[in-house]
Amino acid sequence: MSRPAAKRPPVSRSMRKPVSRTPSWVAPVAVVAGIALLVVAFLVIRWYTTPVAPPPLTVDATQLVISSITSLPASELDAVGTGSANNLIKRVSGTPQTGPNGHPEVFYLGAEYCPYCAAERWPMIIALSRFGTFSGLKTTSSSSTDVYANTPTFTFHGATYTSQYVDFVSVETTDRNRNPLETPTSAQQALVNQYDTSGSIPFVDFGNRYAFNGAMYLPDVLSGMSWQAVADSLAQSSSPQAKAILGSANLVTAAICRLTADQPATVCSSSAIQAIEQKLG
Amino acid sequence: MRLQALALVASLAGLGISLYLTVVHYSTIPLVCPANGVISCEQVLSSRYGVIGGSAIPTSAAGIVWFAVSALLAAGLIARSEGLARLQLGWSALGLLTVLFLIYVEIVQLGAICTWCSAAHVLVLVIFLVALTSRNGTRVRS
Repeated sequence: MSRPAAKRPPVSRSMRKPVSRTPSWVAPVAVVAGIALLVVAFLVIRWYTTPVAPPPLTVDATQLVISSITSLPASELDAVGTGSANNLIKRVSGTPQTGPNGHPEVFYLGAEYCPYCAAERWPMIIALSRFGTFSGLKTTSSSSTDVYANTPTFTFHGATYTSQYVDFVSVETTDRNRNPLETPTSAQQALVNQYDTSGSIPFVDFGNRYAFNGAMYLPDVLSGMSWQAVADSLAQSSSPQAKAILGSANLVTAAICRLTADQPATVCSSSAIQAIEQKLG
Repeated sequence: MRLQALALVASLAGLGISLYLTVVHYSTIPLVCPANGVISCEQVLSSRYGVIGGSAIPTSAAGIVWFAVSALLAAGLIARSEGLARLQLGWSALGLLTVLFLIYVEIVQLGAICTWCSAAHVLVLVIFLVALTSRNGTRVRS
């Protein structure tokens, strides 16, 4: 006796085990979460790679650095020319501006937190020291929370400048933590409003004949360097720091020479300065 | 369809931002952007990453091309050309990778954020998410 063959149930697609499918929202959410994680990772990398603000130098150490950068041989400055500096100096037509001692006035407006001001003070000090003498300069660095954080520099706040050729007037509006320091007079503010329409700092006016705002080189050239290291680098005319700082200093020097009728001749008659003066117009 | 309309709007908005930044680059029109600590469009746009490969062409010009193509792809998909879905996903993935690099540059290299650029980056992300969602939907339906 044989058992009748059992009838096999028909196979239908509907009896397949259902395949679990990832909900449609998972992929977009995963992408957004991944990007958020990546941004956090970038912030952490930035935090670890931001140079720490070096402590300000002592008075003696500061004086050594100042002496070093203001006693560079003229031949080296001439060899650099404009270097890698970006000539921002524009000719302006205002009433010639004289300073407190009756000399043509170089006016500077900046702030200690500002990294571009930090960069620009190096060439300003080098150039002005060819016409006179600074005293009371102190080291500082730009804000730790701004771009190009902790750029090493000096402050004009509390410093004095004497020269028989030119007067230098400076206003540092805040310290590196953005606390108020100095306020421009109404006349100075009017000058800034007239020639610095973008409102960016630093702003420098050369006796109402030339003016510029911003830095002539990017502060990242000085990133992570000590004041002494910057000073040492200026002794080598081929260094990126020398090309940027000395190139900017030559541009500032040429603008000042235009104010002083090319005095002193030892500074203004050099071929490099004369060539820049012609470009300034 | 509704998602692609969102992608089209995002593309047109991105196109507007890119056009604005490019016009500012080539003209003397001042850039409208707050400058407050790490928020600094000027810092980002004047950096060496603000132009393509050391040329005089601003990076925003590439943004014009990218958003214009994105707008065309979204319009095509609205017109039921579903074959474009894969192309849109690939194109937007390319855009997103570029955005990730630019975010890296802003945060790590420059330590500055450009608000206009960030707005464009968000729009690229929106377009990518639309493309991803649409592509998944197309694959399930087929």
